[in-house]
Amino acid sequence: MAEETVLHHPEIETGHEPFMPADEFASNSPMKVSYGKMMMWYFLLSDAFTFSAFLISYGAIRMSNAWWPDPNHVFNAMPFMGHRKIPLGFVSIMTFILILSSVAVVLAVIEGHRMNKKGVLKWMLGGIIGGAAFLGCQAWEWAHLIEEGLRPFYNPFGPDEKGLTHLVHETLTKSPGPVAFGALFFGITGFHGFHVFTGVCLNVWGFFATLSGKFEKVGHYEMIEKLGLYWHFVDLVWVFVFLAFYLL
Amino acid sequence: MSHGHILGDSEYKSQVSAVWKATLYMGIITIVEVVIALLWMNYLADTLPRLMLNVFFIVASALKAFFIIAEFMHLKYEKRALIISLAVPLVFLVWAIIAFSWEASAWFHMKGLVSP
Repeated sequence: MAEETVLHHPEIETGHEPFMPADEFASNSPMKVSYGKMMMWYFLLSDAFTFSAFLISYGAIRMSNAWWPDPNHVFNAMPFMGHRKIPLGFVSIMTFILILSSVAVVLAVIEGHRMNKKGVLKWMLGGIIGGAAFLGCQAWEWAHLIEEGLRPFYNPFGPDEKGLTHLVHETLTKSPGPVAFGALFFGITGFHGFHVFTGVCLNVWGFFATLSGKFEKVGHYEMIEKLGLYWHFVDLVWVFVFLAFYLL
Repeated sequence: MSHGHILGDSEYKSQVSAVWKATLYMGIITIVEVVIALLWMNYLADTLPRLMLNVFFIVASALKAFFIIAEFMHLKYEKRALIISLAVPLVFLVWAIIAFSWEASAWFHMKGLVSP
């Protein structure tokens, strides 16, 4: 009996305040949000600063160059379409895939509020498939651009230049473009892709934890909410990567 | 959002429909963006200034970001204290954008001086 009492009152042993359950923390906090969710929000805020730093430096380097590759000419390939040029086609599909995967995770969070395990599993699976599909698309795009000759320190997408006719006989040559383009493209889309990959891994964990009944036992699906916040953030960053690299 | 209660049927329905509505809006915005980009490429590039297109893209992206944060991340329904504590630090980005644009234009002019 004595042992049991100690187990239920950790402050007797440690001298600390007893652990406060998520519910109680949320109802005592002025923000009415659990500790875990609040910290996820602040982590995402800090991550937003990291991405902003990348995208703002991209903008600064781009603005300091007199010439920059036109996205409509660089990103115009699509799988299974051969050499047909479809500007923005493939990235638009990627954007839709990521938005729909985000929607699936929101619906999983809502099902979690109803303690509907089957619904959570269904929509989490949808979110995982969407994330994996996005990663597949990005892998294809990277492979395609590497095939075209784009490297972190070499950019083949330069302006059309009239050859110096008295030196070489070619009249129109493709000159290399601003070197920073490759490094910025692979760096920023790669860092975003790494976030997508992490998110997919976390969602797979969330799926199996749900499957094993872990959250049902705890009594709430807050972990799915936290995974959802991270996943939507990945979608949010893609909106700005899409803007910076493909639209502007 | 407290975890003590289980979502009722009417609440559930309204939340799900709000999510799909936001999805619809974001889909429409993305389609309009792509259509306008293609129109621009093929017909408008010579007649209208590029700045107009860029402002449109930035506004459209900000709208999409709003839908993701407010609806998907559920921030619209959180306490104002949390919203403010997240929004206020982002003010620094305004200065970052101004400062780096300024710097970039200085680099641009310096390159003009150095290169032949």
